[in-house]
Amino acid sequence: MTDTLVVDGGRTAGAPPAARRSWAWLGVLPFFAFLFLFLIVPALSVFWNAFDTKKGFSFSAMGEAFSGQNLDAFWFSVRFSAGSAAVGVVFGTLLAYAAATATRPRWLRNTVTSFSGVAANMGGLPLAFMFLALIGKQGVLTKVLKGLGWDLYSGDFELGSVPGLITVYSYFNIPLMVLITLPAIDGLKPAWREACANLGGTSFTFWRRIGLPVLAPSLLGGFLLLFANSFSAYATAAVLTDNSMIVSRRIGFFLGGDVSIGENAVGFSLAAWMIIIMAVSMGLYWVARQRAERWQS
Amino acid sequence: MSLAGLDDPLNEGPPTAPTALAPAPVGRPNNSFARLVPNVVLIVAALFFILPLLALARFAMQKVPTVLWDWDTLFDKWSLKPLAVAFGEPEFWPAFRLSLKLAAGTVLLTMLLLLPTAIWVHLRIPRMRPVIEFVTVLPYMIPAIALVAGIKLVKPHARWFLNSDLSLIPFYVVLALPFTYRSIDAGLRAIDLRTLVDASRSLGSGWLSTIGRVLIPNLRTAIISAAFLTAAVVMGEYTIARLLLIDSLPPYQRILVGTDTQAGFGLNLLALLGTTSLFVFVSVLTKKRDRKRKSFAYAATQLAASQEPSPA
Repeated sequence: MTDTLVVDGGRTAGAPPAARRSWAWLGVLPFFAFLFLFLIVPALSVFWNAFDTKKGFSFSAMGEAFSGQNLDAFWFSVRFSAGSAAVGVVFGTLLAYAAATATRPRWLRNTVTSFSGVAANMGGLPLAFMFLALIGKQGVLTKVLKGLGWDLYSGDFELGSVPGLITVYSYFNIPLMVLITLPAIDGLKPAWREACANLGGTSFTFWRRIGLPVLAPSLLGGFLLLFANSFSAYATAAVLTDNSMIVSRRIGFFLGGDVSIGENAVGFSLAAWMIIIMAVSMGLYWVARQRAERWQS
Repeated sequence: MSLAGLDDPLNEGPPTAPTALAPAPVGRPNNSFARLVPNVVLIVAALFFILPLLALARFAMQKVPTVLWDWDTLFDKWSLKPLAVAFGEPEFWPAFRLSLKLAAGTVLLTMLLLLPTAIWVHLRIPRMRPVIEFVTVLPYMIPAIALVAGIKLVKPHARWFLNSDLSLIPFYVVLALPFTYRSIDAGLRAIDLRTLVDASRSLGSGWLSTIGRVLIPNLRTAIISAAFLTAAVVMGEYTIARLLLIDSLPPYQRILVGTDTQAGFGLNLLALLGTTSLFVFVSVLTKKRDRKRKSFAYAATQLAASQEPSPA
């Protein structure tokens, strides 16, 4: 009853139902047109440039962007992104579990979730400066550790190395993981644990057979999201280091520096590869998320 | 419904659906050593997240070189003055004003574009909701650094538009889309949109006054959240502005560190506190809404709604 009222009260009053349905999509046209102009067109032109050399359509620029030093850069970026995603998944899940099970201070859980919401978005310049102040060459923790007999910079450590980037990116990756897994951990029903105990299972059995398999899609999805997040970060890396092995940094060099036109095309091919890698990991994340939501009714 | 929530000491108010409850202690270890682990995790995490902030604050507010920094000088020469140095710099204000303009423009354009679209989708083509949701995460797949490469390519064909600093606004609308759409979508799902529109329309109001006088007031929380998240994203956006050589606040934050390190760290600390307070405000607002949604009255209306025949 209500339905008819709404529809008939609308601006298409009197139109037959079939015609009405077929025109409704026009309402979202401005939105899609906007996205097309300001997101899809720039993205397509990146691909257009990556495939279109002076000789016409070719894969040569794409190939060049995926060989030699550029390939080294991709390998380096994949390593630190996967590393920082793994660290984020492990510690994020531990932190979420600690916050979910701690009953003592009532404000604890709220504080952890609110803080995670803030810190998960804390990329960019201030983050880089925070870590320069803490564990940069002149950082305060560097100094304290040196006083304790551990010289951070005695080896080849620097903030732009794999361990350095993992440390810094953990600052937003761990909170992001907390936000992803907390609903999944809440979804573990106490009845499952009781059932497991009734059937003679131990705590280990519970996690091995029930807990982890149920959490698995969330953990995998989280890993992919964190990977994509680290792989595409630019601002933090730009301030932290001059390391041109970081792909986003490399694209920045090609776009911003005075380089010849030939090299410039490689910059766009790098950007095209980045979009491909991001699309694959986000696509898989989407699939994992659908599965994860099955237990979170 | 699970009984777990009923005797949970954390659960305030009447029983609701299991997801709304504080978690029951699933898998909680029962020996004291294993119980220690969560506490250790929490303490280590707290240190990891607080120490970098303190380090930044020290460099911003204490004028003692790290070389001379030890127990004796720990409390020497602290001052709030370096925080204000940036405000005296001639380049600061134009950069800050530009960022404010970009933020305001982005919020405005987001609302003009997103509100009608989201309302239309919820009301008329709910089947398209998953499509729209998928489209709004596209900006994750095309990150800022790749988007700016595309903008550079498009620029020669649209100089009349892209030469203006304010041409960043539509791109910032895109960047903030995953945040803003989710916020508005959650807001729309929390209200009984169809009934509100029905009531408003049958009392004789047009679409404009339905949106302006009925829907917007009901979506207040969602709209404010979306606006604040957008502002936080724009005020901190470095990648696109830097590579297009646009002098907004974040590129200036970096330049200042180069010319006057302490003042630069001070400005970055303030910027961090600024965006953080926007996010905190949003999280407080959303918590309040969620609490309201969990209330008994809300549960009752939901129950009543679920017993009506659902719209085809």
